[in-house]
Amino acid sequence: MTNFKHIEENLKKEAKKLLEAGSVAVVLAYTEGMDEKHPQPFAAQSVADADKIIFNEYCNHNLARYIIRYAPGTKIALAVKAADSRAVVVLIQEEKIKREDLILLGIPADGMKNSKTDEIIDAKTTGGLANPVIYDILLGEEIHTGKPVSPYTVLEQYEKMDKDARFAFWKEQFDKCIRCYACRKACPMCYCDPCFIDQSKPRWAVKSPQSHGNLMYHLTRFQHLAGRCIDCGECTRACPVDIPLYLFHKFVAKECEEMFQQAAGMKIDDKPVMVDFRVEDSDKILE
Amino acid sequence: MEFEPKILGIACNWCTYTGADLAGTTRLKYPQNLRVVRVMCSSRINPSFIFRAFQLGADGVLVGGCHPGDCHYNTGNLYARRRLAVTKKILEFSGIEPSRFRVEWISASEGNKFAEVVTEFTSHVKSLGPQTKFKIKE
Repeated sequence: MTNFKHIEENLKKEAKKLLEAGSVAVVLAYTEGMDEKHPQPFAAQSVADADKIIFNEYCNHNLARYIIRYAPGTKIALAVKAADSRAVVVLIQEEKIKREDLILLGIPADGMKNSKTDEIIDAKTTGGLANPVIYDILLGEEIHTGKPVSPYTVLEQYEKMDKDARFAFWKEQFDKCIRCYACRKACPMCYCDPCFIDQSKPRWAVKSPQSHGNLMYHLTRFQHLAGRCIDCGECTRACPVDIPLYLFHKFVAKECEEMFQQAAGMKIDDKPVMVDFRVEDSDKILE
Repeated sequence: MEFEPKILGIACNWCTYTGADLAGTTRLKYPQNLRVVRVMCSSRINPSFIFRAFQLGADGVLVGGCHPGDCHYNTGNLYARRRLAVTKKILEFSGIEPSRFRVEWISASEGNKFAEVVTEFTSHVKSLGPQTKFKIKE
């Protein structure tokens, strides 16, 4: 189990060091929220701010979400867990940020918890990695315990379902949607301006949360995140009506990995699969 | 009355649309269930078109493009192939029959193939019955 206190101290120490030296303008980390279970994202801009930084097992927010809010060229340090680091890699691949503008404070974390359900977040609900894929400073010991779990085993029961039952399942889920767009806001990859759902020419779906518009919104979002979703699970945790969006994203990620032999956000030199092609891609993928 | 499916065809200007033209000028017979929309390239097709078509009452969607390697813009259909493959998977996991959506490579000289594909696809969609899952209910 990760020593969260130890990581918190290291995080504070490094944040102070970086802000004191002026090597970054801002450190993205976590601070106290309304209670211990609800820490909130925090942008520390001074040494005094750095004292307010905390880290515990409920610090789930994917801070990569906040990078694009800063002007290009701003030096940013941010705390990254495994999935968050993959989000950073995708943002670098998509040229939203430059690697040299970032200082990544890697957090190897095992046993993070969902503040809604208190369940441990593992491969079933997110990517299943414990160590960040890139970092500059590692704030704890790398984790090598436990056998790697496939993030996709959770999908089996849904893939086995009859297609009518699966449609009924998703219809029930999407009908709950109140179109608060929390999934979009929480997602580090959703940075389009304007988002397709905000367009009025063409208007892809009705703007009020009606069943058919919800279906259109979610399906298109899954398509737009194909080969880019890094399975951090933030959409699902942000959802106020508990739609298991991660299942669908996981399914698309799995299919992309099978078809194109590349998982999202693992290497900076990779090209995201949807903006790339191979002449030798098989036509079988269309069957 | 027998069920007559509505099928949306999205055809690339340079190959499939010209192929469809050839099928017409050589007076080949194929079912009239297909409504063709011409786009400049198969990579012009936004996957939302397909979701939207099903919502607006299409029973099947047929996308036609140049054979890989023959794209008028060199690589357009290679991007489209990846993109539409993902669309098909999304349709599958959302619970609609993925075979209601088909991508075929039909060149400008393949009027025969165009007629065959449309005939075969129409009878397939006919056998699946009306598409009601995505269709917006009035």
